[in-house]
Amino acid sequence: MTAVLQLESAAERGGGRAEAVGDFAEFVRMSMPGLLRYGHALTGNPHDAADLVQSVLEKVGSRWMSVQGKGDDPLAYVRRAMANTHISIWRRRRRESLVADLPDSGAVAPELSRLENEPLWQALRELPPRQRAVIVLRYYENLSEAEIANALGISCGTVKSQSSKAMASLRTRLGKD
Amino acid sequence: MGDDLDDELRRLFSDDRLDVHVTPDATDAVLRGADRRRRRRSAVTTAFAVVTLIGAGIGLTQLPSSTDRTAGDLLPTSLPTSSSTPPSPSVSTITQTTIVTVNPPTPNSNGNTPGTPGGTTGSSSTKPRTTTPPAPPPAEPGAVGKLALGMSEADALKTGSLVEPSSPADAEGRCVAYATTTVPDSNATIISPARGIVRLTLPSYAKTQRGVGAGSKVADVKTSYPTATQNGSELRVEMAATPKWTYVFETDGVTVTTVRMRLNANDCSMA
Repeated sequence: MTAVLQLESAAERGGGRAEAVGDFAEFVRMSMPGLLRYGHALTGNPHDAADLVQSVLEKVGSRWMSVQGKGDDPLAYVRRAMANTHISIWRRRRRESLVADLPDSGAVAPELSRLENEPLWQALRELPPRQRAVIVLRYYENLSEAEIANALGISCGTVKSQSSKAMASLRTRLGKD
Repeated sequence: MGDDLDDELRRLFSDDRLDVHVTPDATDAVLRGADRRRRRRSAVTTAFAVVTLIGAGIGLTQLPSSTDRTAGDLLPTSLPTSSSTPPSPSVSTITQTTIVTVNPPTPNSNGNTPGTPGGTTGSSSTKPRTTTPPAPPPAEPGAVGKLALGMSEADALKTGSLVEPSSPADAEGRCVAYATTTVPDSNATIISPARGIVRLTLPSYAKTQRGVGAGSKVADVKTSYPTATQNGSELRVEMAATPKWTYVFETDGVTVTTVRMRLNANDCSMA
């Protein structure tokens, strides 16, 4: 009897998981372009952006049911996870990119090479990961200081100081001071 | 100047050149990776569970060989591993030894935590071993596993047998209730700030020293515990321990559904 019940509940879990996988696949399809763009802003290069997005989405997907159960907006959750992953555990691994399909030569993507040549973009890439994340969350995501503090799990004071250091570095590098 | 930089950052971050082309198989790659991670995690979890089960199994197999003290530890919960019939020879053996070990404190000790397993099973256990017949009123240790009646909340938590979080066990919120690792009921254990544990619930598979547990017939309870008194659908048997406590056998009129231990001097309305 118990065994029958266990089998039934296992079957229910299996059905629920299949549904969750379908749901997550749809989420990935819809959010991938935006996340890659956001990852590009965070990491400063499209290869790392692709790796970051894939790594975070894999983690989130493996716990999709519990992520949904938290009641947060899953997209906001993924973006927070990307910012934190980029800061804390991101190693600039150059493993084969499964997500991004990038041209090999600059000649194929002149827009990209022009972006690479922009002084502000170069200055941003020089910032430490956390300062860069604060700037991206502030100017890309348009988050307030309190929201940035919440997303990164740091205090508002730290957000202010990181932001101020980042802006000072950018000004210095751009020769604006 | 600052505004210039703000504007430049906003312009840069809204630039189309930040777009990254998505490959057609990007979603599949992510799904495969997520599935791989999930399977790896569940494999680790399963391995951990197996190791835990093996550890628990080894622990259980060690029990019978570790003398009276271990029997006292697990006390009223003689596990039905050896046979399905309640009055098995091994159960009766345990009954005799432990009853004897608990009796001594009543006449000659101060009664500090008499229900604590192990504390009463010292060298004195040999002397009364000759007085085998259990006399009414019965005396059994008020303990289930590592939890004992009268034990403070802090000590009870240290045993690792309580399942947090607790819930309030009376209207005033003084007393708290916990489920235990063996009894999922959220009111399995009730703890008073002044008296310590005032209620313990036996796991459904456990039996008292006299072989009564969930599923026992009401008539069997009365046979095993002649001093049992009826209170509504409950049968109550007061133990001759110090401090005094009572077995509360909840019944559906015919069979026992739950066995609880209740400290007589308790100040929690739910206990």
